[in-house]
Amino acid sequence: MTYNLLKGKRGIIFGALNEDSIAWKVAMRAKEEGATFTLTNTAVAIRMGDTNKLGELCNAEVIPADATNVEDLENLITKSMEVLGGKIDFVLHSIGMSPNVRKGKHYSDLDYGLLDKTLDISAISFHKVIQSCRKLDALNEWASVIGLSYVAAQRSFVGYNDMADAKALLESIARSFGYIYGRERNVRINTISQSPTYTTAGGGIKGFDGLLDFSERMSPLGNASGDECADYCIVMFSDLTRKVTMQNLFHDGGFSNMGMSLRAMHTYNKGMCCDCDPECDHEHKYD
Amino acid sequence: MSDISAKVKAIIVDKLGVDENEVVNEASFTNDLGADSLDTVELIMEFEKEFNIAIPDDQAEKIGTVGEAVAHIDEAVKNA
Repeated sequence: MTYNLLKGKRGIIFGALNEDSIAWKVAMRAKEEGATFTLTNTAVAIRMGDTNKLGELCNAEVIPADATNVEDLENLITKSMEVLGGKIDFVLHSIGMSPNVRKGKHYSDLDYGLLDKTLDISAISFHKVIQSCRKLDALNEWASVIGLSYVAAQRSFVGYNDMADAKALLESIARSFGYIYGRERNVRINTISQSPTYTTAGGGIKGFDGLLDFSERMSPLGNASGDECADYCIVMFSDLTRKVTMQNLFHDGGFSNMGMSLRAMHTYNKGMCCDCDPECDHEHKYD
Repeated sequence: MSDISAKVKAIIVDKLGVDENEVVNEASFTNDLGADSLDTVELIMEFEKEFNIAIPDDQAEKIGTVGEAVAHIDEAVKNA
């Protein structure tokens, strides 16, 4: 269903690699809702993924940029305003990558050079995007900037590694810059803390399948899908959420406020019994 | 070792953060040197830049080992 929520709005969408990407789904929904936008990713990601195909589907120009490189960002933002014919109304930052995770480094044995890269790519790039937009005066009044986060920013999730620290920094940047840009230009800056979602990046996390299942059983509404996340992004880009800023918004089926759920406990109990007694016939009455 | 071979191996050491002793002709990028899908694309693009050649995707897919990369680049540079 479409509502024309973004009719006439212009945007920049970072991080659409392939159909699994949340950014891909946001682009498709933004198109449906009447927005025009540019797509961007690193040159390597564009070659590896299907960003150009998405560009064709959405009639959107693809402008390569390394989001850690300010010169690239300034070029991207300037070109986007030219192509779209005016200032920008929404920006999606859907960028995250940990070289430590890719190299299989444990959190207690991090390579600090790689940690710098994790933080630069996954969090400081958010600051660079916003600072570059501000210096070029590229955002319209009430523009909306969204970064995608995960609850490991607040709580400990084994295997999420240094990305947890990156997400904590990302959320802090939304608050710190949200004040400045809000005061000056009524620009809204938020992060959306999404359920674990099977994407190329998400799939790289150790034990991801187990995490997905655990999270599904813990959340009263179940995991939020990538498509549902795209819907939420659209609402946040629209004029219906003008006074929402400097927030980390949980979009996770209720997971973040759960302690224990019967569905998760049921599975845990089954595992306990099976571990200690193969012939266990205990009736599990939770669910 | 030829100039090209030495340069290719230096790029691999730099990009993958592996010990140069591991970068032998028989070494597979994914199985022996720990490269993931993004690493392999990065390597191909770095080779293209360094040697000023184009390696189309269908040919890039066939490059699985250090030796295959050196051979391919050797040939491409000769024909350039």
